[in-house]
Amino acid sequence: MSNVQLSSSAQERLVARRTFPLHRRTSVCRNLFGPVDHDELSREMKAKMREISERDQQRWNFNFEANTPLDGDYEWEEVPVDKSPAFYQDSVQNGRTRVPATPVKQCPSSDSVLPETPSMDVLERLVVPESSSTPCQVEVNQENRTDKLNSGKPSHRQVPCVTRKRTATTDNNTHITDFFVKRKRAADRKSNDMSACHLSKSPIPVEQTPRKRIR
Amino acid sequence: MAHATSIQYEPVAEIGGGAYGTVYKARDTESGQFVALKSVRVQTDQNGLPTSTVREVALLRRLEQFDHPNVVRLMDVCATQRSDQETKVTLVFEHVDQDLKTYLERAPAPGLSPDRIKDLMRQLLCGLAFLHSNRVMHRDLKPENILVTSQGQVKLADFGLARIYSCHMALTPVVVTLWYRPPEVLLQSSYATPVDIWSTGCIFAEMFRRKPLFCGESEVDQLGKIFEVIGLPPEDEWPTDVTLSRKNFPPLIPRPIADFVSEINEQGAQLLLNMLTFDPLKRISALNALEHPYFRDEETLTQTKS
Repeated sequence: MSNVQLSSSAQERLVARRTFPLHRRTSVCRNLFGPVDHDELSREMKAKMREISERDQQRWNFNFEANTPLDGDYEWEEVPVDKSPAFYQDSVQNGRTRVPATPVKQCPSSDSVLPETPSMDVLERLVVPESSSTPCQVEVNQENRTDKLNSGKPSHRQVPCVTRKRTATTDNNTHITDFFVKRKRAADRKSNDMSACHLSKSPIPVEQTPRKRIR
Repeated sequence: MAHATSIQYEPVAEIGGGAYGTVYKARDTESGQFVALKSVRVQTDQNGLPTSTVREVALLRRLEQFDHPNVVRLMDVCATQRSDQETKVTLVFEHVDQDLKTYLERAPAPGLSPDRIKDLMRQLLCGLAFLHSNRVMHRDLKPENILVTSQGQVKLADFGLARIYSCHMALTPVVVTLWYRPPEVLLQSSYATPVDIWSTGCIFAEMFRRKPLFCGESEVDQLGKIFEVIGLPPEDEWPTDVTLSRKNFPPLIPRPIADFVSEINEQGAQLLLNMLTFDPLKRISALNALEHPYFRDEETLTQTKS
């Protein structure tokens, strides 16, 4: 999927909505770029998607839509599941029924372990200063990070989480992310202090900072 | 888009749209390389794919640029919209013929040699250290998603996909193995990269035993099996944020690991215990594990047991 541009604008909108649920209708900033021609946008999106699909199809000589091989450089064959490592098996199973290769149990709690935290976690890893939307999101979700990152249940908010996360982070070297977080925290604190001391000077709630950076 | 293609190629096996129980695999007639498809259907809403999925894919692609030898190659990601509610994401991976599970099963009689195990472990930890330093947890490490090439190269697979599956997992009963799960996950406490080290420890033991170390049938059963080996952890190591009380378990004392993993040498046993440490904070990291004396004797020729 090379539709990074496509998704980023969609994400920005999403971010804005999530961050400012109350202001989103009234805010002047929302209209900075004028009205959106939704039909045009949707047409362009579809065209772009089609273009990407065609490129994919051509590159792999495989029709991903119909799930059928085509003629080309790749010689496709359909292999029975047991002839291939279990890892690939999931592929054609629609992700719905993952056949257990080892005795297993149905474990509804396990999905709470995994998916519960989806975006924050990934955010953590994807924070790099290259996309306009990502840093903002990080700032937005910053408060949730510690417990979201490593706890299976959102309710398990407690000090050990933080400690654990810190350790896990420090023995790895994701400096960029660390940098971001710290910067944001510093900024946060600063604006808090400021609003405390000079109320007139910065009446803007802290959460609005990211908004400016979206632009 | 460009033109009809020139080259003709061999026909393909017949297909059933999303046939159950088969895998699409192809050989690149130019390079001879094998690829395989793995597709996942993702629920969508009016905003399209969930942002978590988009990011996860972006992350996988970013990791790909490092071309790490112990991580399975992800060649492409193709999305096709199936309906307003569903998008199919097809991941094109390099195809490796076997995973560690079959590799262990196929190993001739006495099992893998200690050197072979050491080599596999080193590669596994290398791949893991790479993922961890990029802040990726595998979370579901097990012999089935550790691929082993015909040259004996280890390649980690299936990391980072949990998020992509998760949409489904939330909706459908999920089947997962508990055998490689660390205590903190079984207890539903907070967790981080040490989860993978626990799993690696279980796999390490399994390489010697050629059967899994802890085969629990439920979370509690799994924990019980774990404590039978490592002993019941002291009260102060028991996480405070969990519902399951330590009192539910008998006061077991640790048993010598050699009782369970007989072929392992002393340093191996030491490393194994460092990995199977109850407290995730005290568990060894992938990087430190690579520095462990167990791996050190390589150049000076293997010492101890052979």
